[in-house]
Amino acid sequence: MLRVAIVRRIVRYAVPLVVGGVCLAACSSSSSPSPSTTGGSGSLPSYTIAYEGPLSGGDAQLGLNMKFAVELAINQANSGTSQFGKLPFKLNFLGEDDQGSPSVSPSVATSLVDNSSVIAVVGPAFSGATKAAEPTFSGANLATVTPSATNPALATQGWSNFFRVVADDNAQGPADAQYIANTLHIKSVYVVNDASAYAVGLTAAFASEARSLGMTVTSEQVPGTTQCSEGTGSVTEYPASATKVVSSGAGALYYGGYYCGFADFAKALRSAGFKGQLFSDDGSLDPHYVSGAGATVASGTLISCPCQTLASSGPASAFISQFKTLAGFAVGTYSAESYDATNTIIKALKSLAATDGASKITRAGVVQGLKSITFVGLTKTIKFKSNGDIAGTAEYVYKVGPSGTISEVGPA
Amino acid sequence: MSVHEGPSRLNRLRDSRDFRRLGACVFGMLVLALVTGPEGIQGNPTYGVIQSWLRPRVVGFLIAAVVLWALMTFWGRLSGRIRAEVVEVADVGRRLFESRLPRFGTYLLLIVLAVLLPQILSGTWQEITVDQIGTYVLLALGLNVVVGFAGLLDLGYIAFYLIGAYSTAYWSGALPVQPPFDLNPFFIIPFAVLAAMLTGVILGTPTLRLRGDYLAIVTLGFGEIIQIVATNLQGVTGGAEGVIGIRHFSVNLFGVRYAWPVGATANLPYYYLLLGFVVVALVIFHLLEHSRVGRAWTAIREDEVAAAACGINPLKYKIMAFAIGASTSGFAGVLFASKIGFIDPTEFSVQMSILVLILVVFGGQGSLAGALVGAAFIQWGQNFLRVLNVGWYNEQDLYVYLGGLLVVMMIFRPQGVLPSRRRSREIGLAEHGIGTADAMSAGETAP
Amino acid sequence: MCFTQNFWSLLIEGLANGFIYALIALGYTLVYGVLRLINFAHSEVFMSGAFGGLFVLQNLIGSRQPGGLTSVWLVAIGIAGAAAAGGAVAFLLERVAYRPLRRRNAPRLAFLISAIGASYFLYNLAGKEFGRQAINIPAPFTNGTVFTVFGAPVQTYYLVVAAVTIVLLVLLDRVVAKTRLGQGIRSVAQDAETASLMGVNIDRTISLTFVIGGLLGGAAGFLYALPVGAVFTIGFTPGLKAFTAAVLGGIGNVRGAMIGGLLLGVVENLSVACISTSWRDVVAFGILVIVLMFRPTGLFGERLGRSA
Repeated sequence: MLRVAIVRRIVRYAVPLVVGGVCLAACSSSSSPSPSTTGGSGSLPSYTIAYEGPLSGGDAQLGLNMKFAVELAINQANSGTSQFGKLPFKLNFLGEDDQGSPSVSPSVATSLVDNSSVIAVVGPAFSGATKAAEPTFSGANLATVTPSATNPALATQGWSNFFRVVADDNAQGPADAQYIANTLHIKSVYVVNDASAYAVGLTAAFASEARSLGMTVTSEQVPGTTQCSEGTGSVTEYPASATKVVSSGAGALYYGGYYCGFADFAKALRSAGFKGQLFSDDGSLDPHYVSGAGATVASGTLISCPCQTLASSGPASAFISQFKTLAGFAVGTYSAESYDATNTIIKALKSLAATDGASKITRAGVVQGLKSITFVGLTKTIKFKSNGDIAGTAEYVYKVGPSGTISEVGPA
Repeated sequence: MSVHEGPSRLNRLRDSRDFRRLGACVFGMLVLALVTGPEGIQGNPTYGVIQSWLRPRVVGFLIAAVVLWALMTFWGRLSGRIRAEVVEVADVGRRLFESRLPRFGTYLLLIVLAVLLPQILSGTWQEITVDQIGTYVLLALGLNVVVGFAGLLDLGYIAFYLIGAYSTAYWSGALPVQPPFDLNPFFIIPFAVLAAMLTGVILGTPTLRLRGDYLAIVTLGFGEIIQIVATNLQGVTGGAEGVIGIRHFSVNLFGVRYAWPVGATANLPYYYLLLGFVVVALVIFHLLEHSRVGRAWTAIREDEVAAAACGINPLKYKIMAFAIGASTSGFAGVLFASKIGFIDPTEFSVQMSILVLILVVFGGQGSLAGALVGAAFIQWGQNFLRVLNVGWYNEQDLYVYLGGLLVVMMIFRPQGVLPSRRRSREIGLAEHGIGTADAMSAGETAP
Repeated sequence: MCFTQNFWSLLIEGLANGFIYALIALGYTLVYGVLRLINFAHSEVFMSGAFGGLFVLQNLIGSRQPGGLTSVWLVAIGIAGAAAAGGAVAFLLERVAYRPLRRRNAPRLAFLISAIGASYFLYNLAGKEFGRQAINIPAPFTNGTVFTVFGAPVQTYYLVVAAVTIVLLVLLDRVVAKTRLGQGIRSVAQDAETASLMGVNIDRTISLTFVIGGLLGGAAGFLYALPVGAVFTIGFTPGLKAFTAAVLGGIGNVRGAMIGGLLLGVVENLSVACISTSWRDVVAFGILVIVLMFRPTGLFGERLGRSA
């Protein structure tokens, strides 16, 4: 009786379940989102340039600044009216959100690597995410050109597919120290980092250069707060740190971190009576810093960046206006660098199409092409060193005006 | 209506208990409508609420509420045949699994499936299977020993994961502090697992005397402390920048040489390593469950004072459970560190510990099958929804769903989806005032 | 000693933090007294207060900079809005997450797990609906240094925090010690069964206890968020710190919660002078662990039923 009951049920339930399960597995193996592969519109071969960065979460604005710039460059190239003229292939854009997080970036990297039409990646945007994802990209020899991941360690891991169009923290930190010492003539500085991977490296480089310039340097780690989704600290730590800064008598405060934490800290500093110079890195280069801290507090703050504002006339003006049309907001931090990174890739693709044929471009070919490329972009002339870093370094300093507008002061 | 008839059907329907159930169903469905509704807009707090509730879509949810209520209220009167069928299937299933042959046959079948299935998956899904599903299955199995078998609530479970990962980094020479000797990579696993286990014993010995609520908070505190220490001690752990360049796992022993690959092709080899350890863990935990140790855990769980009176040393067994859980977590950390090659301490927060807790509770505390299925299902589910990119699911809202799931589970099915029979009985008894169903209520240090 | 430098500044800031911790800790202590339950989701009650006060003030204050008597009214209204939000969320919490479990006489673990679930649900829902960036609360008063104590500035904000907290604490003390409701709470805390035999409506008392705790927690959330803005993640760390304070003072003990809060705020802040800020949280959690391990009954150790 039991056996009959079992057999009857197996037939009735188990079979459809197994069939369904196999279908599901088979379906899932082809359901990874992939845009049109080779053989797209018309007879032109098509390739995808992907962007990886934070498109959601607390730092989404930085990611969106870059994403639209990449998309714009691709749209312009496809239209045939860009500086590259008519291209023998079609380009697709794919934007992936890694939330700036090293937990998410490996799976994003895998899905990009899996997607056979992806020929190059602009990004990942954040250093931590890049550290976690790069082995996957490297294993597949998929070129990644990052417009913003500035951690120096990234260029020393032996990843031949890694490229970066901005100077790393080892350039930015010392340049800032020199600016404070030589241009601002400030003798003592209090250095704070928000315990993020980015800030720790940057402030270490800053501090050691500042010491070698003879400045008095006090360093402290003040963790980013849960308030800003930047770490585990709580905002009650800022008044205490501010007190220490004030009593140290430092003439300047150098903050390594992002705009949200810096805004809260700046408010606490001014409330505690700090009269010195506020100085931060490009993580704070965002209007949200001004809105968070208030124009009164933010006024006079100096911010450094390996990124450059574009002259509003000349070749950049077309970029600025078309970006505004596409994105719905004005160009922001790293938009121009992302645009240049994409165009560098497109130039490499174009020359590969000329030598190898438009339908025979490979990822390895792109990596090789990028190694030897020279491209004159909006921000700089792009040429890569053998480890992927940009040849030549440049830092720029920005200042927050009394009404809250941020404008470039000049090179560091 | 005659005065001799009982209350009319209408009046029976107005009975307050049914009404309350309807109210609960409507409330639940409205919450669901809000949760699956569009994201709010920064600066406009009522946008999300209006879009979720004041649009036609809410009608669907209200209808679903009524249907749910009807099902719950009239289940007793449902078609007898369907109910009889459901009961019979459950019964057949249970009788089937009681005899050895079908049981082992099923296990074998499952193992074969587990071995073959990933081969046909896409790269993305292979990666999800290892990093998301497999790792969390192992973590859930480990936490199940602590929460389910011994009844201790550990909210800092990920601390051991972190210790396993950092130990791997240490013995690979990736930390600023170098190891005293060069270790054959194969032995990194036992060394790291040992480190995690030791930490479990060190943390557990002073704290496991505490009552359940307090233990939970202390473990939470420890989890936070370990994460902060890892982030701050730059000279030892690399600090907030994390550790990069951890050696990938390899075997070089007795002539057997194999190096696990790097990058996208690493998924399958790591998967099989993970699968091997999951199977070993399942076997060990199953044997433990039915051994003296398991019975001691059950005794402590059900009534600690009585267990102590029978000569069981509760502290010793609690520490054992804690250490076993810690070593499982540590092992998962080792795999993670060697596969990704990079550790960022800021990513291992309390939230991850809570996620593992949710997986165990959902599946069924104290039940191996439950922990396995619960972890696999939720992890598969959330990744499935994420990859598929359905309109209503926003992956940032994951914890809204999981948090709500926890509350609902506790109200309607605290024993979990696939509970162990013993646990269901314990919870049922506890609800009637007999025994305690967990190591939380009794304790000599209760204030 | 390392903290003699900046001592007064750090002390005053620590006291201000401590007042807020005390308000939150009271919520934990009250609920623990009647239910023997750690209301893990109390941090979300705190968060609702921050948002409640935010929305109320956003609609009242435009871009003008209020001063004088208007400020007092605005603070009062802000607190009222925040407290109402906190109370409402606490009420809902009890009804939805805990009452069904109480009805079923569920094991203790179930309560704690439900609390954790409710906490995660609430704060992520707030993030979904209200956005994930902090929203600045329009200032109801102009912040400046009112006077100095041995060279340490005392800001308007600190005075507001102290004043509000003291008023609320006095009110609470009155309610618990003098009113019928307070008597009900104390009797349920002491012995629920006997209390119900004596005619105390257990359900209503528990509900009201939650609401009172919610009112205080909500007010605390508003005060905390005033300088930095309301955001969905605001609750976690202060909640944990306040729980530490409640345990430090003796959980279930109202006066203990107050003193524990102040003590924790001060010690935590002073420690920053000796060790780096990044270790501050380790100090707080370290206190938690040590107290729980060596003196789980806390400094005062008595219960709600026997205090006040």
